[in-house]
Amino acid sequence: MKLLFKNIDEPGLATREVYEQRGGYASLRKALAMEPEAVLAELEASGLRGRGGAGFAMGKKVSFLPKGSIDKYLVCNADESEPGTFKDRELMQKSPHMLIEGIVIASYAAGANRSFIYIRGEYVQQADLLDAALAEARDAGYIGENILGSGHSLSLVVHRGAGAYICGEETGLLDSLEGKRGNPRLKPPFPANQGLYQGPTLINNVETLATVPTIIDMGGAQYAELGTETSKGTKLVSVSGHVQRPGNYEIELGIPSREIVYGLAGGPPEGRQVKCWFPGGSSSPVLIKDDLDLPYDFDSMAKAGSMLGSGAIIVVDDSTPILDVALKVAKFYRHESCGKCTPCREGTNWTVKMLERVQTGEATPMDLEIMASVQEHIIGNCLCVLGDAMAMPIGSLIAKFRGEFEAHIEQARAASGLTVGTPAPALAGGLV
Amino acid sequence: MPRPTPRTITFTIDGREVQAPENSMLVDAAKHGDVEIPVFCYEPKLGNPVGACRMCLVEIEGIPKLQTGCSTPVKDGMVVNTQSPRVKTAQQAVVEFLLINHPLDCPVCDKGGECPLQDITFGWGSGISRFVEPKRHFVKPLALSEKVAIDRERCILCYRCVRFSQEISEDYQLVLLERGAHSYVATFDGRPYEAPFSGNIVELCPVGALTSRGYRFRARPWDVEDSGTICTLCPSQCNVKLTVRDERVMRVLARDNPEVDDGWLCDRGRFAYPKLAEDRVTEPMIRDGGELRAVSWERALDEAATLLARAGARTGALAGGGASNEEGLALHHLIRETLGSQNLDSRVAGTLPLELHRALAEPALQAKVPDLEFAHAVLVLDCDPIADAPILDLRLRKGVRRHGMKLVPATREQLLDEGKRRELIEQLRAAGPAADGSGLEVVVLWHERLGAGPDGERAVRALLDLAATLELASTEGAGLLEVPAHANGRGLREAGVLPNAGPGLSDVDEDGLDATGIASAFAQGELSCLYLLGVDPPANAAGAIVAHAAFLTDALREQADIVFPAEAYPEKEGTVTHPDGTVQRVRRAVRHLGEIRDESQLLGELSERVAARVGLAVSA
Amino acid sequence: MSVTEPVEVPAELRTEIERHMALYPDSRSAALPALKAAQRVHGWCSPEALEQVAAVMGVTPAYLESVASFYDMLETEPVGKHSVYVCTNISCSLRGADELFAAIKDAAGSDTEFNVRPFECLGACDIAPMASVDGVYVGPLSIDDVPRLLDDLRADRPVLPEKQLSKRACADAEANA
Repeated sequence: MKLLFKNIDEPGLATREVYEQRGGYASLRKALAMEPEAVLAELEASGLRGRGGAGFAMGKKVSFLPKGSIDKYLVCNADESEPGTFKDRELMQKSPHMLIEGIVIASYAAGANRSFIYIRGEYVQQADLLDAALAEARDAGYIGENILGSGHSLSLVVHRGAGAYICGEETGLLDSLEGKRGNPRLKPPFPANQGLYQGPTLINNVETLATVPTIIDMGGAQYAELGTETSKGTKLVSVSGHVQRPGNYEIELGIPSREIVYGLAGGPPEGRQVKCWFPGGSSSPVLIKDDLDLPYDFDSMAKAGSMLGSGAIIVVDDSTPILDVALKVAKFYRHESCGKCTPCREGTNWTVKMLERVQTGEATPMDLEIMASVQEHIIGNCLCVLGDAMAMPIGSLIAKFRGEFEAHIEQARAASGLTVGTPAPALAGGLV
Repeated sequence: MPRPTPRTITFTIDGREVQAPENSMLVDAAKHGDVEIPVFCYEPKLGNPVGACRMCLVEIEGIPKLQTGCSTPVKDGMVVNTQSPRVKTAQQAVVEFLLINHPLDCPVCDKGGECPLQDITFGWGSGISRFVEPKRHFVKPLALSEKVAIDRERCILCYRCVRFSQEISEDYQLVLLERGAHSYVATFDGRPYEAPFSGNIVELCPVGALTSRGYRFRARPWDVEDSGTICTLCPSQCNVKLTVRDERVMRVLARDNPEVDDGWLCDRGRFAYPKLAEDRVTEPMIRDGGELRAVSWERALDEAATLLARAGARTGALAGGGASNEEGLALHHLIRETLGSQNLDSRVAGTLPLELHRALAEPALQAKVPDLEFAHAVLVLDCDPIADAPILDLRLRKGVRRHGMKLVPATREQLLDEGKRRELIEQLRAAGPAADGSGLEVVVLWHERLGAGPDGERAVRALLDLAATLELASTEGAGLLEVPAHANGRGLREAGVLPNAGPGLSDVDEDGLDATGIASAFAQGELSCLYLLGVDPPANAAGAIVAHAAFLTDALREQADIVFPAEAYPEKEGTVTHPDGTVQRVRRAVRHLGEIRDESQLLGELSERVAARVGLAVSA
Repeated sequence: MSVTEPVEVPAELRTEIERHMALYPDSRSAALPALKAAQRVHGWCSPEALEQVAAVMGVTPAYLESVASFYDMLETEPVGKHSVYVCTNISCSLRGADELFAAIKDAAGSDTEFNVRPFECLGACDIAPMASVDGVYVGPLSIDDVPRLLDDLRADRPVLPEKQLSKRACADAEANA
């Protein structure tokens, strides 16, 4: 069942003309003819959970905003930066009006009059396309004062980031949108109460908002029939790494993971096996080959000790040393740590240094104990989730592939010519 | 606007029931039960908590994750645990994380012995580190400015200094560059951090990353004693703590008085101390052969008494600087009661009619410093806080930033022009809670210079009119706050150093000459002797000058006939009166240099000697 | 606030910054677009560029330096005019990105026209290994593509047209069924 990706490559879909020809903006008209509360009720009935990573019920999030005629903001989180995730990119590039329509409907339900799309700075072409679509939408009266005579007004600005993963964290995004460094904020207060410019703010992911027109079109209850009891609807899944057909796939939540990795994406290259896979971006704890039989939905992934996250499956086959995977992941989070809180800033840095010692043969198995304990000291103790985003996958890699790490330590140590008691060269000096 | 009036609640911490103000942050509430929760980034003076260092993690019943005590408001019935194994593990982890890049050069670090990182490591750390990798390295130490050195290797990135620059002094010069483990504190393009309040960052730094260049390597905490007093270098009268070693002031620190300074100091107040001990007048001096020469106290007092007795009622006196209330009273006694002269003043630009002095001193009309913060609007009238009383600049910024106070600057011209005055009133009323102006709390912060010159009296009357229109006297939290020209201007005035009022603004038999009158009468020879307490002589002197001076200015060197060595404030004992009327105690922190004597006692002794001579003359 | 010398700002840059400032309830929100505009003019966020933005926005240059140094796409050192961001994050590296980056870096050599950087996940793992060349996504790249990539850039031609992401159809076979 394709809802978001239906005829996604239709020529000209990025233009209003083609989008409207196939029924675009009809949901907006339908929604504006309803009371905002009724629109909200449809969203709640759909059971749609946020597609950005946290999986929070979208309708409930909208309902958290205070009522009344105060300045309220809607921010679309298009800072898609979780490694392995590229679904929002394809949506924005090919069907920007779908997102704009979703934003206008959601703003109507939430009573927000100013909206922003915070798109990561690297998505230059997608931002240009959004700007062009926005101009068309404005010309058609879908954005602006008194939209289609409904009395609802909405401004929309496409705001381009400048390269910082942390701006995908909603409060880091808000600070960045306010023109600051993208440091996450202490919560509470939550954005629904005090968000952008201290005003009540609804923040939703691209895919979440792009789903809104479909929900209004088919009705919340009918949308809710798709997927599983707790993971309703369809989901875009980005599959990458060691698969034969990497790309985005729209699936109904709850299908077996194996069907995605092998059925849709073609599985690893001939003759190779899945060694491990990240079910929801590089910040999700890794799962192993046997876990491929699990249904791909929020609850099953959580039950397996991982998470669905942004819906980005990264497949690693048996040709790859697990240490390489761990180093890539740890280095990424070290690079992206904003530096505000201690455990994340220091913990990511320390973890990378330890992994590098493992690589150069300057580690002992005891270092694995320390590394595991450092991950435990990070988890749950940070200001935002970035620290956990490294510690959880690294912790899972150490736990699940301990033998391989130990073997690597032995081999690298032997190869380096160091023996126990020899001072390791890296410890004698040098900067990082 | 309404000020916080917290109710007391009961919560449980480490198994004991403790009472604390509701909604105070857990780290503060815990202190009510003598429980210390360690912190680095938390500093309530800096505004809202940021929860960055994670040192204060505690366990709260009903919340699965550990919470930061610095940002969790305490509620009735809350159950908090700071001693569980989980909390201890987290605390040890944070200490370990903080130390991985910290050089542990405590033996050569200025902060050693008074370092929160050291203390917390001992108190809450595990005692060992498992980190064996190379630490971060920076060139060190570097001059952040002429006054402050920065050692980036010691920095634990607590954000306190940059928050100060950005949210308190609002100079926005000190920032964090780069991100993550590469972050460091810096200025634009490596330029010096020059701002009026920059020294506060040294005191805020919880490690030895920011140190005072003047204090570096001068003393260890166990070498020094602290001595609390009042800085009288300007009318702000900040409460300071002097670090004293071997009878020398080594450092000036803030002594956190929310009613006065909010715990901040300006750079002048913080860094002027070496100058206060240099090139001082330390002995009495008399002009001899055209030059001032050191003499004995006996001779100086004797000659001064003779001069004054001879001048009698033709003596004038001017007081200012850091002169204390006691010195003011003693001067009043000497000039008015002993010499029979009414010619004394402490107002630079001359006096106002006594009824105006009294009207301005009306108790109901007095605003306090914290009122600046909580008022709906503050009218800053003919006053430049950053120059006139720097610390009030920070208070005004705090009011605007944290409480939405409206700042309305105005000149004397606006006050005097009826149309413009009406506009000002409109502007002020617009900040109030109701359109008709009811419930509006306004503080007028004005400078003594408003009353100067030919229009001065009219301006002060207009100010009192404005106060009446805005009902400042009957409104709680509203009022007037005058910044005097001299540090203890208000105290000297109330001590009777005015030509038309005695102590407590009491009636005098006849009015004398004010400061401008004294200067011209002295230039024309109508006054034969001028007594100066903490001020420089006027331009044209025709008679004899007796001056108390800590430093020999060019004017004194050329004109003074007798100079008594004066005390700098670290040597002074007495009281001063804050512009808002609060009497503050100045305490001696170091002994007198050279032959300096207590100045109020000196004035008393001089009075006695003059009285003896005047008495002799009368009886003869 | 410190008193600064009046700063000369190129008229076009000033107009562009002011246009961005007008888009937001708080003009400070324009910091990122303003810095990018200045970077286009000056080649990087030089002290001079920062001072110009500061003068238009009414903030301190220190504030802007702090912001600029936080974001990967804002350059705080002089760089070549053509940016080649090579994704070296996990999905791309599993498909040879590290070797690709080394090859591009090597081929660009000391040519100061190029700003070849390893970059974190660029959100195009479907064309791994890939690069963003002056904002245009190309991939999957092989080492053999490297000379042509640089030649196209030198000649100001569209870079590897057949490998541009914008030409690629959705991987989901049923999407266009």
